[in-house]
Amino acid sequence: MRHPTDGVLRRLLDEPAGVAEADRRHVADCDRCLAALAATREDAALVGAALTTEADVDVPAAWARLTAAASASAAPVRTPAPAPAPARSARRGRFGELVRRPATAALAFGVVLAGAGTAAANDWLPIFRTEEVAAIGLDSADLVALPDLEAYGDVVMTGDDDLRPVPDAETAEAESGLDVPEVAALPSGITGEPEYQVGGEVTATFTFDADRAARAAAAAGEALPTPPPGLDGAPVRLVAGPGVAQVWQSGSGAPGLIVGRAVAPSAFSSSGVPFETVRDYLLSLPGLPEDVAAQLRTFTADGSTLPLPVPSDFVTTTTEDVDGEPATVLATRDRTLAAVVWVEDGEVTVVAGALDTGEVLEVARGLR
Amino acid sequence: MDLVRHPLPGAAVPANALALPAGVVPRIGGRDGVPVPDAPTRSALRPDLDVVFRREYRRVVSVAARVLGSRDSAEDVAQEVFLAFNRSSVPAGEAGGWLSVAAAHTALNLIRSGRRRASNEETAATAVPLAEPDVAEVVVTLEERSRVRAALARLPRKQAVALVLRHSGLSYAEVAAALDLSPGSVGTTVRRAESALREELTRHASSH
Repeated sequence: MRHPTDGVLRRLLDEPAGVAEADRRHVADCDRCLAALAATREDAALVGAALTTEADVDVPAAWARLTAAASASAAPVRTPAPAPAPARSARRGRFGELVRRPATAALAFGVVLAGAGTAAANDWLPIFRTEEVAAIGLDSADLVALPDLEAYGDVVMTGDDDLRPVPDAETAEAESGLDVPEVAALPSGITGEPEYQVGGEVTATFTFDADRAARAAAAAGEALPTPPPGLDGAPVRLVAGPGVAQVWQSGSGAPGLIVGRAVAPSAFSSSGVPFETVRDYLLSLPGLPEDVAAQLRTFTADGSTLPLPVPSDFVTTTTEDVDGEPATVLATRDRTLAAVVWVEDGEVTVVAGALDTGEVLEVARGLR
Repeated sequence: MDLVRHPLPGAAVPANALALPAGVVPRIGGRDGVPVPDAPTRSALRPDLDVVFRREYRRVVSVAARVLGSRDSAEDVAQEVFLAFNRSSVPAGEAGGWLSVAAAHTALNLIRSGRRRASNEETAATAVPLAEPDVAEVVVTLEERSRVRAALARLPRKQAVALVLRHSGLSYAEVAAALDLSPGSVGTTVRRAESALREELTRHASSH
């Protein structure tokens, strides 16, 4: 009979009763499988030991902390959220740090948007002048599997992508050069004044390196597709920002509503190689799943879309209209978080929060 | 392959703006335009929270601690996870898997976001191994623990979560249900993750 798979051998270590009798008998009599089982056991033990951490907890104390926090977050709706302490504001640099602690269900959006921030728009997708945003259904495993461009050339970042708090909308407008969107009516449960954050313009320059890309391709067991003439050594400059955000705390002190706006990313090339050529070539590099590449090609065919990869296993997307512009609406499948994103006149705007899709759309459509 | 280290600005500004909801705490409320009166939804505690908390808290901390290597940080994550559960409509019967997956994702997000970068050394220094008879012969240095956690954050998310849940004591059936995998593929997923982490350790060991 065929040798059981690695997965079956792994389960044999933990739950032998869950493994078919025939497989168990085979392994017992097969030197090759016994050797593989020993290696599996060794790896499992090593990783298990490396991950083990003392976790002796005081459950009653933790319960007291939780109930206090839950009560605080359930404060009457009319109670304005306390203004953030200056010290805390000063400590928060990046957007991500606005959040004092990670929130959970955030996990879904965390994946998308961590997706958007990292693998995301994955370093090279935003090389187009963005005119609209399109959501692409990707499995989250695909997102993290997208290739890192550093394997294919040099990446140099300049500018300041840190966000800094500013005291009011006027300052935010003066420093960002953007109109700060004004929310007409806050959704139920969101109260008080927002905190304003401003981020500067950032630039990244990617310079394709054929030798390095060839090594990366070889590591993936494939040959590097022939680069288009003129691409090797030619820098592509990506520019985005500045941006501005307004953040309303919810009763628990975590952000409950965020309205952000930034200059949409655009790209410049000094080599004369058309962006479409660069894009199509990058899409063909080994490591990118073909089905994903095919989706991306479709979405970027006109060179004017910022695809927003979305892990379809966590998030649903729909398209709505915000003041005549097509907008992408995202909602976690458990319906705890929603966001709407659109691009107008070269600026990308996002409204997101612990709200439902109707509420984020209402805020979005009511922006002045 | 490190997708986190150098987000490019194209991703940086709009994506950072988009990254904000990662911190948003969900609430129960009007869904799909159906308004829910404020008062009932804002009562402090779900009636079943106490039971679920006492049943699941240790395991939730354990899951987060395996990712973060620090009990204190893990307890912070557990608090956030239970607060979100309290606001959610997740049925109590599904709470165990939901909470464990949420703890794993939240902890992985923390590592991935780099917010813990500054305290990595402290994490490694405070990681205290449990005496586990089965693996007593396995010697893992603090540096290796730290490296394994960094590698964990680079794994495909599903592999990382499956690995952490399995090592936190969830059965194959529970991991399968929590991650929407077939029970048969849990072993494969966990094995791949362990193999990748083992390679990480071996690669470093051989380079010294």
